[in-house]
Amino acid sequence: MSLRTGAQKNYTAEYDNEDDFSDSTNTSVSENPTEEEDEDQLLDEDFNAQRPKKITIKKPKVKSGTNNSQSTNVSVDAPPEFVPDVVSKMFNNNRHDFTYLKLKPDHASRPLWISPSDGRIILESFSPLAEQAQDFLVTIAEPISRPSHIHEYRITAYSLYAAVSVGLETDDIIAVLNRLSKVPVAPSIIEFIKGATVSYGKVKLVLKHNRYFVESTQADILQMLLKDEVLGKLRIDSTDQITSSSGLATEKAPEKGDLVIPGTKKPNGEEVNDDVADIYASVVGERAEEEDDDDDDLDAVHSFEISHESVEIVKKRCQEIDYPVLEEYDFRNDSRNPDLDIDLKPSTQIRPYQEKSLSKMFGNGRARSGIIVLPCGAGKTLVGITAACTIRKSVIVLCTSSVSVMQWRQQFLQWCTIQPENVAVFTSDNKEMFQSEAGLVVSTYSMVANTRNRSHDSQKVMDFLTSREWGFIILDEVHVVPAAMFRRVVTTIAAHAKLGLTATLVREDDKISDLNFLIGPKLYEANWMDLAQKGHIANVQCAEVWCPMTSEFYQEYLRESARKRMLLYIMNPTKFQACQFLIHYHEQRGDKIIVFADNVYALQEYALKLGKPFIYGSTPQQERMNILQNFQYNDQVNTIFLSKVGDTSIDLPEATCLIQISSHYGSRRQEAQRLGRILRAKRRNDEGFNAFFYSLVSKDTQEMYYSTKRQAFLVDQGYAFKVITHLHGMENLPNLAYSSVRERRELLQEVLLKNEDAAGLEIGDDADNSVGRGSNVIKRSGSNSNNNNNRSKAQRTAGSLASLAGGEDMAYVEYSSNKNKELKEHHPLIQKMYYKNMKKK
Amino acid sequence: MIFNEKPISIYDFDSWVKSNGKIEQMEAIRSIKSLHLLKESNEICILNPVFRKNLRNVLTGSEIGVSFGIPCDTDDLNKVDIEFLDNYASKKWETILHFMVGTELNEIPSAGVLSLLRHSGLMDGKTPKAMVITNEGFQFLLQDVNAQLWALLLQYLRMAESLQMDPVDVLNFIFMLGSLELGKDYSLSVLSETQLNMLEDLRDYGLIYQRKTTSKRFYPTRLATTLTSDSTTLRSASSAMNNVIKNANDNIGSNIENAGSIIIETNFKLYAYTNSPLQIAVLNLFVHLKSRFENLVTGQITRESVRKALLNGITADQIVSYLETHAHPQLRKLAEEQYEKKLEYDANTKEKLHILQPNITDQIKLWQLELDRILTWDGYLFTDFANDSEYQILQTYAEEIGVLLWFDHSKKKFFVTKEGNSQVIAYANRKLRKK
Amino acid sequence: MPRAIKGVLVECDASIRALIVRIDSERHDVVIQELDETHLLIDSTKVEFVKNELNRLLAKNTYNPLEEEELAAAN
Repeated sequence: MSLRTGAQKNYTAEYDNEDDFSDSTNTSVSENPTEEEDEDQLLDEDFNAQRPKKITIKKPKVKSGTNNSQSTNVSVDAPPEFVPDVVSKMFNNNRHDFTYLKLKPDHASRPLWISPSDGRIILESFSPLAEQAQDFLVTIAEPISRPSHIHEYRITAYSLYAAVSVGLETDDIIAVLNRLSKVPVAPSIIEFIKGATVSYGKVKLVLKHNRYFVESTQADILQMLLKDEVLGKLRIDSTDQITSSSGLATEKAPEKGDLVIPGTKKPNGEEVNDDVADIYASVVGERAEEEDDDDDDLDAVHSFEISHESVEIVKKRCQEIDYPVLEEYDFRNDSRNPDLDIDLKPSTQIRPYQEKSLSKMFGNGRARSGIIVLPCGAGKTLVGITAACTIRKSVIVLCTSSVSVMQWRQQFLQWCTIQPENVAVFTSDNKEMFQSEAGLVVSTYSMVANTRNRSHDSQKVMDFLTSREWGFIILDEVHVVPAAMFRRVVTTIAAHAKLGLTATLVREDDKISDLNFLIGPKLYEANWMDLAQKGHIANVQCAEVWCPMTSEFYQEYLRESARKRMLLYIMNPTKFQACQFLIHYHEQRGDKIIVFADNVYALQEYALKLGKPFIYGSTPQQERMNILQNFQYNDQVNTIFLSKVGDTSIDLPEATCLIQISSHYGSRRQEAQRLGRILRAKRRNDEGFNAFFYSLVSKDTQEMYYSTKRQAFLVDQGYAFKVITHLHGMENLPNLAYSSVRERRELLQEVLLKNEDAAGLEIGDDADNSVGRGSNVIKRSGSNSNNNNNRSKAQRTAGSLASLAGGEDMAYVEYSSNKNKELKEHHPLIQKMYYKNMKKK
Repeated sequence: MIFNEKPISIYDFDSWVKSNGKIEQMEAIRSIKSLHLLKESNEICILNPVFRKNLRNVLTGSEIGVSFGIPCDTDDLNKVDIEFLDNYASKKWETILHFMVGTELNEIPSAGVLSLLRHSGLMDGKTPKAMVITNEGFQFLLQDVNAQLWALLLQYLRMAESLQMDPVDVLNFIFMLGSLELGKDYSLSVLSETQLNMLEDLRDYGLIYQRKTTSKRFYPTRLATTLTSDSTTLRSASSAMNNVIKNANDNIGSNIENAGSIIIETNFKLYAYTNSPLQIAVLNLFVHLKSRFENLVTGQITRESVRKALLNGITADQIVSYLETHAHPQLRKLAEEQYEKKLEYDANTKEKLHILQPNITDQIKLWQLELDRILTWDGYLFTDFANDSEYQILQTYAEEIGVLLWFDHSKKKFFVTKEGNSQVIAYANRKLRKK
Repeated sequence: MPRAIKGVLVECDASIRALIVRIDSERHDVVIQELDETHLLIDSTKVEFVKNELNRLLAKNTYNPLEEEELAAAN
């Protein structure tokens, strides 16, 4: 039984609401564990067993007494004659003193150094070879920081996996690094690269001519696989192919040939250069001449065929024996799946970085599965659409919300030649599929993944989706989606090529390893600053505004426990005033302002007091559209308040100023994403800055800690956060809120009462289930028609648990089994509801 | 006034100067007076006669005197070149700095130097092995070479008398050194006894080179010849010296302009193109160092690393100034570009050229402010006054004698310094007992 | 006759003041008198202690980017 079929079951609860993860995902929290949760657990276990092993760089051994009496530790690579000098011990006690790597004579013209201890690459971005080096490095390493002058990357097992996935070979990687490095590449690095690439990327699972082949450039590896007890049995004879005595077929290696990615030929017909290829040519070309022709096996690939049913088993087995397969889809030779006749419209222009990312995906003429990372506002959608126009088979797109669904649909229609009758949308309101043989379906993860009691119509659609083969699946905003949901989706929908799109592949909780396995390696990651400099995304001035806590608030803050403190530092009157002032200042400048607040109570308090419209999870669709339209076109409406719904589901091209008044702990992804809201802004203002991003933090509170942590990702992309300790002129603002002690005391009372009200439930989520504004707030009793109150409570608790756990995103609900163990305080209610459950796992 | 020996009325000056030069005139007179070159009494001015005589001589070339040194007329059989002198000077100087920083040395500075370091408060400790750097010493390290030299020389001057040396002679020699030409050798023949005694010390600081202690000639090094450079050339002189010191250790032939230069990024990561143990030791004072290559040192400026420096007496301004002085050309280039853009936008902008990105300098200063968040004073709180007038009398007195640190009229309390307490109490006893 | 109480005058902002009062709340041997919004009278022997405690408490609000790197390196 494959995982795929195991995923389909019928459950009792109806689940239709696909809007916003906070409402819909509910997995691990309820009184009675359901079959679905059991299945989750199975998937979890299965998954953990399948993870690629981690390769770590060997820790330097302590060498005692080898060199001299002074030091006992040196870097593991250091030659025996190396003598540390008087300052060596300042570098991690001699261990990070790499002066034994002698500079090459022409070092000044080479752009980088490699640190043997941690695989860190330091690059001079002002070096003449820097641009080519960057292209290469992005392919083989993870970018760590890329500010104005010196960039840092790190070679990891995963980054090397990605490198081989796009076709780079071990020796080439080492050769190019040697060419670019100012100092010789240390032996430990070479060992590491060899070790990480010895087995990864050597075996491919290729679908072509409707048949599956296990392929490799190295015949001996395939022979080894065939000797495996599980795999050996699965080879099937290919009657139409000549096989060698070992049972392998041999043919020419795939190449890009005449495959043209749509939109990429320049107007005068020139092909755009591939810089990595250039650097290769100069390095590898030289080497190729030296090599014996006898050895030259590079152009051939060997393969054996397996049956359709064996695919999953083969994938799993290869993983187990340390030869994880790369999946490639030879779409040009797929005659079984009907073609989808679409192309980019002639007017559609692809930008260089979009093209680069696609060239990684289609480099050898087949479609590789993987993840492309582009900043928000840089045109991820177009990348997905172009890829779809290259593959030209049925495509399914999954997004995070119904609003995104409509946006994807609209963009497909806008940029390519697809006909409306070939486009279907699967949401709670739309269940009509396309009638043609091939087409596009756009839906949300929730709709597809939530297998709980579907309506009849929904089930019909699911049958439609699961019964066909899809050439291509686009997974939008992969960083937002919890892994278990992903797994379900990926195992439910049979797609030959998978593309994940995201703005931030931030390694917050090791999720990157999951995505690597579920979708594929990272194919490309853009450089934010570079894009900003070239005008593709806005230049943003970031600032952190320090708001001292008023003494009454601070005294309460010091008294309260961790949970209750949050509301106090968010509702700090000084912060309120700062917000008011900034809104006033920027409205006068003609800016369009979005104010973000994760906490819904704060959102409402601020918005109502300042008389601005606000949108949060439960704001009805119509009202949202209304507010957004006004924001965009009405010059009387220049400021709106958004809750975290604003993070993904709403596309606002025109905001030029962002003010953040409350944020969920230390989520860097969230910070980067919010910035993305204004990265589209192109109106050039003064001093080269198009847009402004303010993060308001209460001084001397935990908020400062989280704020700095959140900023880390952006800081490493090159954004500098200015610190504003005092807003000039704020005291003189007419009608400044909370300017009297009495008003502040009143606010404090209200806030303290709110804390009590919550009784263990986080304020925000209560309000999340309310509709209306101001005094008309009604509690919504649950999102579903067959709801029962227990279920709703469970939902709210789930949300609050996530917040309690410092949940930055929905992943926390999934991983809560681990993270919550770290929590020290639990309200008895939660303890009972959740932890009672825990023991059963 | 140089040639006219008669005293002049101060009002005459006014007639020599155009009306719009009045400010400069006042400034000039003030400066000359403060140097005691011009004496004024009853609105009559006299130029200092010694000054007048010597300046006249120099201008007319009549009596050359010894002020500018006497070059040797014989050739040196063991002539040394400028490169040698530079190496020599930097080695000597760096030995002193290394010693201060605590680097293990094969040869420590001479007893004379050690004594100087102790007396100038840069280091503490009785025996050479026990000497440790002080807060002043830390600050000293971040200064540029010229400032450091003068600090030591001034201390030397102060100690001169106790060493049975004529301070005037000492000062003369120092000034003479400043006027000498690099690369030339000079004769000892015109030096006074005091000045001959100074030779050994000057060798120790790397200011002069002598092949042997019995040599009849000496060579000034760059450290000496740049002693009295004026402020405009001072920066380039000291940076030239800095480069010399860095290059002397960078035997790699790397770009002169890159040597010793530092890149600090907006994410606070630091990259210094250096291999000089001294510069690395200085960086270690306020940077968290990470890794080291033959021509690069990487690290990060963190709250902890800066705090450590601040607690050792280094100031935020010194750190910023050190980073600015050693800024890599790429940083300068970017700063200039940004400044150009600002000018384009607003030609009258009040913005200045920021070699370091503002968020870096701001943050370093903010970290310093953090340390100043709490100010404390030892002393006494006066309280429990019977009535307003009792309170008022004492509080006013305390204020008058300058010992009042805090007061609150409504609460009838005030706080005075520890030193001032006895006075206030004494006053209280006098005034209040009577009542 | 008025009294003169020996102690240390502390001048600080309101937040630091609140922190010191808090430090004192458990032990009652630090603050002798609260003077006003920005001043306190504290025990002369407790000055270093207060500075250290303040540093410790405030450091909790400070994120050190290296702590993660070091954790990662250790793994």
